[in-house]
Formats: sequence, structure tokens, C-alpha cells
Amino acid sequence: MAPRVVVIGLASDFGCQVQMTNMEDHLLDVLGAIDLSYWQLASSGHMPAEYDVAVVEGAVTTSEHIELLERIRATASTVMVIGACAVTGGIPALATSGELEDRVGCVYGTEGMRIAPGRISPVPVSAIIDVDYHVPGCPIHPAEFVRVLQRALIGLSNRPPREPLCAACKVAENVCFYESGTVCLGVVTRTGCGAKCVSLGRPCTGCRGIAEDANAGAARDLLASRGIDVAALESALELYNSLSEAR
Amino acid sequence: MSTLTVEHVARIEGHGTITVDVEDGIVRDIRMDIIEPVRLFESMVVGRRFDEAPLITSRICGICSPNHAVTSIKSVEAALGIEVSERTKMLRQLMVYGSFLQNHATHLYLFAAPDFVGQPSVFPLAETHPEVVKRALKLKKLGNELTGVIGGRSVHPITAVVGGFTAEPEAHELDRLAQALHEVARDAADTVELFAGFDVPRFETAGEMLALVSPDTYAIYDGEVCALDAGWCRPVGDYHEFITETIVGHSNAKHSTVDGRTFLVGSLARVNLSWDRLMPSARVVASKAGLRPVTKNSFMNNVCQAIELVDAAERCALLCEALLEAGGSSAVEPFDIKAGTGTGATEAPRGTLYHSISLDDDGIVTAGNVITPTAQNLANLEADMRAFAPTVASLPAEEFTLKIEQLVRAYDPCLSCAVH
Repeated sequence: MAPRVVVIGLASDFGCQVQMTNMEDHLLDVLGAIDLSYWQLASSGHMPAEYDVAVVEGAVTTSEHIELLERIRATASTVMVIGACAVTGGIPALATSGELEDRVGCVYGTEGMRIAPGRISPVPVSAIIDVDYHVPGCPIHPAEFVRVLQRALIGLSNRPPREPLCAACKVAENVCFYESGTVCLGVVTRTGCGAKCVSLGRPCTGCRGIAEDANAGAARDLLASRGIDVAALESALELYNSLSEAR
Repeated sequence: MSTLTVEHVARIEGHGTITVDVEDGIVRDIRMDIIEPVRLFESMVVGRRFDEAPLITSRICGICSPNHAVTSIKSVEAALGIEVSERTKMLRQLMVYGSFLQNHATHLYLFAAPDFVGQPSVFPLAETHPEVVKRALKLKKLGNELTGVIGGRSVHPITAVVGGFTAEPEAHELDRLAQALHEVARDAADTVELFAGFDVPRFETAGEMLALVSPDTYAIYDGEVCALDAGWCRPVGDYHEFITETIVGHSNAKHSTVDGRTFLVGSLARVNLSWDRLMPSARVVASKAGLRPVTKNSFMNNVCQAIELVDAAERCALLCEALLEAGGSSAVEPFDIKAGTGTGATEAPRGTLYHSISLDDDGIVTAGNVITPTAQNLANLEADMRAFAPTVASLPAEEFTLKIEQLVRAYDPCLSCAVH
């Protein structure tokens, strides 16, 4: 029997759900391997009472999300999170500094009280429930999504790479940004993206999260050796890794 | 009084619930409850550097990210007084148009079409109408390729930055794209024919319509804001004077009015306001399908999106060819960082998008504002729902809700954008 899969979006921009459809040549094959039971973006229908795999996108920003995730964990045998919002808190976690209510006031003025009941300071999905698989990135890469989904469906364990980007960057023959005194988070960010942004002339923003084998101390020393204020590293990390303990 | 709800309406971007209050067979109230979670983007750019603002605001929406990135970049350039090259403008247009192709194809075939063929999603059509699904995926894929080749990635482009681009596509890639774009002319025209053939209710919106208009092209990248009924045109920088935003209790997104009237933006507004600037091929296909300005039926937004597919396919092919011929550079020239305020606007697939930003002497953001197309549309959508619902209230519940959902989907709402 094909595994029953539901796709859930929390607080997100739907970009990772869109990436799931952006492998047009393979979309129908992937759908053929699963029983897609619920996906609000693509299909009418209600969330079923039973399912095997939950694919979750987005950061946790409301108490309703917490209840939903607890129900999902109790129902699905496999939980897969996709995208930076769900994996690290992502861009929504920029809203975790300072007071949430000040931010609501900034956007909605004094009427902010009427908006978004049950809102909480953003956290990644793993702060609420155990997660079995994750696909990092902002957005995810469709091919990486398919690979991880395959592992999940077969029952192979999640084996993300543990080292930072630098080796991939060297293989791509990029000139290191630190040569020109520019901060690049590739020194601490989980590899697996082929150093795409750097290859296109943009420093790494850390969207895949901090790698387990990253050496944050050495990264700070690197900045110091180039005469760059270490605060610049901290500031850059705030974009996607505000909540990371590895900083 | 009984309440009918369609929770987490399917096949729209974002989370919204249709709520209908019915008493004695009469629709007393109908609303679009926008429950999409708040993320508070306008607070998140404050304190960040000017060059981070486009990266952050791109993440308002993963479906129309090229527009957010480009519009945010334009607002920063306006604040800093940066002029960009013609080549940069052409590349940005191509990147944004790639998003149009992808968005319209996705909305029309994946979101809207299933309603007209009695299916819950496009997936069963892979069996019953394989050619239609193939066409849908072909258009969508080409749109993604276009944005991906220019921007480095179809979702959240990488190469577009303040002042220009960090990398350009190779000539052979532009050449290949030009050919592929010429080839989908037929597929785009077939899309117009398909949607013009679907039965839609006879309905007229009472709202005003706004869009960017430009004297020498179908305005997507630049223009003045023009109002269809009122007949005025104003600079983009004045948007906060003519658009009034209010908070409504049942929506995490704000509602908008212009001169006290609800209004809509998007393909319907653009086709009405810039009909003469569509490529002739698009006007011909549109006329054959029976669409001419001025059309006020909100359901016809779908056909108008299809017309824009025809226009985009030809226009982008010509843009690619022009870029191959033209010289110039899109590389970023040095610029001074200084205090300033600026506004940028572009036409996104769903309508006019505004970003404004204020910077201090060090180029740090002190304030930011974003008004998205769907945020502008929501009040008019509800007004349309209120006017339309009584005309179908005698239908059985399931058919009634389907008709209301079709109206909602015709707007192609993007609720992540609307709330941000």
C-alpha cells in the first residue's frame, strides 16, 4: 500500500511547497509512489484522521501550530520538515529579538491587539516535536527533497552532511569572499547546496543552518585575522540562525 | 442563523476561510477570514542593512519572490539615488516575467481549472486530459527556467542585487530560452481558448481598478499608477496618499480602499488599462476569445492571466534576443551610502506591489512598508462575494460553495503576501 502523505504549511511563504512542484519532469512519478492524502495548496479535501508521512513547511508562530504538530506527531510514523523556516526558524525567527508586541505594534499600530490571537515567538518545528527527516535551505532544492523523501519512504535514516561549505566552494573554484574582506557564512553553514550562491557572486547567508562539524571559534579567528569586526558574523547569522545554540 | 464555512480554502496560496452567515435562506454576511499567520516583515527589516532588505522581503512570498526582490531593490535604489543600466532593467523584466509565466500557468491549471472540470485537483487530469497537464507543466517549467537562468534560482533569486546583477546568463542560455519562448506561443494561445470556453457567471464588480501604466510598453517593471474609472495617473511614490489601509477584525491582512472605494489589481485591471500595449498576438487571441476592454467580470481575471501568458511568451523571446544584441553591463557600479527614503513598485502576477524603505546615514533601515496585490484586493473580493452570493444562494450547499470558491480563486489570492 502506498504511504499516505499529508503536506502541512505553518508560517511560511509557500516557497518550499512550490519547490515540491518544481521538478516538473518527475512530479508525476513522485505522486505515483505515494498516496497524497492532503495538500491544501494543490487539492480540495480535508485532513484525514490517519496518515503515515507528514511533510511540514514553515515556522511555528501560534499556539494552534503547537496543537497541530502534537497531533501530527501522534498520528504519523514519519515527520519530515522542509525549508529553513521549519528547520532553523528561518527568516520568521528574525522576529524573535525584542518584544513581539512591539513588532505587532510596528506593523498594525494600536489595533494590533485584534490581530493574530494565540501568536507566540517563532520557533522551528523541532522545538515542539521530534523530527525524523529534514530538508534544509531557503528554499529547498527540489532534487534534495526527492532524495530525502525517497529515504523516508524506504526507511533509511536521515544522513545530512555535517561539514561546512568551504570544500564545495573550492571544488567550484570560487575566489573566497574573505580575500576581499567580505563576511561569508559558508565557513559554518551545512554543505549540500554546491555553494550555489557564492558561485553566483553572493556570500552565503547560512540558510541551510549551522553544520554540526562547524568550528565557530575558528570562524571568529578568521574574521579577526582579516581585520573584520566579529559582530559582522553575529549579525549575518541572525538572518537564518537567530535561535541556533551552535552560534 | 446558520454558518457555512470552507476552512483553509484549497488551491489558493495561504490560509483563508470562507464564512457565510445564512438566515431563512438569505445570505446575511459573507467574509474571507484571513487566518494566515503573521510574520511581521515590516518590523524585521528595521535595524538591518539596506542590502539585506531585498533578501528578507523576498521571503514574503515564495511564489512571487522575483517581484518582491526587484521591488525592494528598486525602493533602496530610490532611497540612495542609484540609477541602473538599461541592461539591468531588461534582465529584471525577464526575471519577473519568468515569474508571470510560472505563476499564471500554476494558478490557471493547478488552482483554477479543476473547478471547471469537476475535480478536486489537477492530478486526476493526468489520466483524463494528459495533453492539458503536459501543457501546464511545460509552461510552468519554462517560467521557472527563465527566472532561474536570470536570477540563479526560480524561488528567491540570487543574482539580483541593489545596483544590478552579480552574474549574467551565458549567451547560449538566452538563445535557448528565446527559442523555447517562441515555441510556447501555441500553448499560451491554447490556454486562452481553454479558459474562454469555461462557463463563468455573469457578474460585474463594483470596484475601481488600478495598475501601473507606461506609455511605451505593457507596464510590469515601471510606470505610473492609473485608475480605470476615476481616470487619474499618479507617481508610485504617492501610493500612501491614495491607498488607505485599515485593520479588520477577521483578517490578519489589512484591507485597502482608494478614494473610499474598494478596488482590484491584477491581470483584469492591467488588460483593461493597458490593452493597447499588449503584443498584437495577445490582442488577437484575446479578441478571438471574445474579450475586449473594458471588462468588469471578476471571473474573467483567469482569461486575462491567459492573455498575459501569450504576451509574456512573445515579449520575453524578444527581450532575450535584444539582450543578445545589446551591449552594456549589469554589474554594480560603486555608490554612496546615505540617508534617504524611497519607494519602488512593479506589477507582480497578482497585481501592483509597493515597497518603501527609509535608511539612516549608515544605510541601516529605520522603517519599511509593503503593500501587496492581494492585500489591495481583499476588500473588493469581499464586496464581490457579498454581491454575488445572493445570486447563487438558491443552489444546493455544495454547488453554492463551489461557485463562491471559484470567485475566490479567480482573484488568485496570495495570502502569505497579503499578511506578511
